[in-house]
Amino acid sequence: MLISLKNIFVNAGHVTLFTGRFFKEVLRPPFEIKEFLRQCYIIGYKSLPLVAITGFIMGLVLTLQSRPTLAEFGAESWLPGMVALSLIREIAPVITALICAGKIASGIGAELGSMKVTEQIDAMEVSAINPYKYLVVTRVLATTLMIPVLVVFADAIGIYGGYVGVNIHSDLNMFRYFQQVLDSLDFLDIIPATIKTFFFGFFIGLIGCYKGFTAANGTESVGKAANEAVVAASLTIFIIDMLAVQITDLFF
Amino acid sequence: MKKESGFTWKLGMFVIIGLILFIGTIYFVGKQKNLFGNTFHLKAQFKTVSGLKEGNHVRFSGINIGTVNGIELITDTSVLVDLIIKKNVQKFIKTDAVARIGYDGLMGDKVLTITPGTGNAKTVGDNALITSKSAVEMADIMNSLKTSVDNAGIITGQLAEVSFKINNGNGALSKLISDDGFSNSIKGTLINLQASTDQFAKFTTNLNNGALSSKLDSTMSNLQSGTKGLSDNMDAVKNSFLLRGYFKKQKKAEAKKKADLKKAADLKKRNTLKDRINLKTKDIPNHSNLNAKDSIKQ
Repeated sequence: MLISLKNIFVNAGHVTLFTGRFFKEVLRPPFEIKEFLRQCYIIGYKSLPLVAITGFIMGLVLTLQSRPTLAEFGAESWLPGMVALSLIREIAPVITALICAGKIASGIGAELGSMKVTEQIDAMEVSAINPYKYLVVTRVLATTLMIPVLVVFADAIGIYGGYVGVNIHSDLNMFRYFQQVLDSLDFLDIIPATIKTFFFGFFIGLIGCYKGFTAANGTESVGKAANEAVVAASLTIFIIDMLAVQITDLFF
Repeated sequence: MKKESGFTWKLGMFVIIGLILFIGTIYFVGKQKNLFGNTFHLKAQFKTVSGLKEGNHVRFSGINIGTVNGIELITDTSVLVDLIIKKNVQKFIKTDAVARIGYDGLMGDKVLTITPGTGNAKTVGDNALITSKSAVEMADIMNSLKTSVDNAGIITGQLAEVSFKINNGNGALSKLISDDGFSNSIKGTLINLQASTDQFAKFTTNLNNGALSSKLDSTMSNLQSGTKGLSDNMDAVKNSFLLRGYFKKQKKAEAKKKADLKKAADLKKRNTLKDRINLKTKDIPNHSNLNAKDSIKQ
């Protein structure tokens, strides 16, 4: 009991040190620009189809599912505004982050884990390359900056999906639909939701890297690192989301 | 090297499209709130804003022309509302325009409507204060609703009393409803009425068909010939020696009567002429009256 409790504290300490090291290294030159851009490409651009399909389906399904309830009140005209609000405030950020946790955190965890297991990281250190800077900082920065962009895409495609969903049952002009969407939006809907996606991105990258970087020796630990990265990242996303909504609610 | 440039432009495109989408949304939402572009401020003072919030729409002739920018209490009974309004609407808002707070739909937000002023007033300036009318409060509606509900209660009570009396009393209405004898007699009356109208219908059909009318026609011609015979008889009677004297006497009396009437009329004429002359010669009406009296005596 005491040992497991101590293990939790040890782990927490390791994560804190790992995070602190990131902030230390991110400001210190030399910067690995090329590797950073490559990671951005892999994380951002390569995830776009997945995020686009998810966003579209979310918008479409949310519209179709909300319609009967709103139709009961005769408030079908609120459908575009409602779908846009729920997409932008909650669904698009969380779903995109979860998809990216599945795709990116596991990818990073497996990649760094196998590098660790095959002692490539040690080899980098020997050849005077800072592995933390080259591997961790670039990836964490890339996820932090790319997840918000992906969320913006998911928002846009999801709202378009809502347009398709509305047009299955009724006939609504595209211009009128987007007018209604914009009408229902406020800065308070967009800004906090965007800020929280940066945190989602940061933690997806950080957890993936941490799990990979601290993988034990042995082949099975690669799979374990990938698995743990996904689980921890998904859980963290929900916790951050809850905190973000609470804080937003508190101040505005 | 070639591979590297391949991914760079894709990444750039991805990021730029994302940023354009984000900034575009921000811009359009801001435009909706009239944060960008040419605007001017208006102010209106209210006793109560009944839940108006910052960001609510401002309507002019039913068109959204701006938003509520700020609401602040200035004294304990008045609230100053600051409005941001599009510049290109300014020329339509006159100094005597009236601001009013209303509902946007049944359960929607509050909305501030500006009613246009008269055409010959000046246009409002920046930061001008326009007059306001107090909104219809939900409590007022409820109060008036309560009075009408109370009235309805009284009316239904009286209605209940009336119907109770009808059911249980002895009046004509209660008899109509409850008394069998009464209803039977009404029924009998109606049956009689029906029979008589049937008869009348028969009579009119007969009249129309001509059997009766031809009879009537012959009666009328008989009557005509009868009256003609009668007038002949009368002439004969006038000329017969037995009754001739009577008719002559009658004629004489008639002639005398006429002559008398003529005489009286002449006398009257003469008197009035005399009166006129008297009036001209003497100013005292009593004398003339006396004279008139005298003349009548004469």
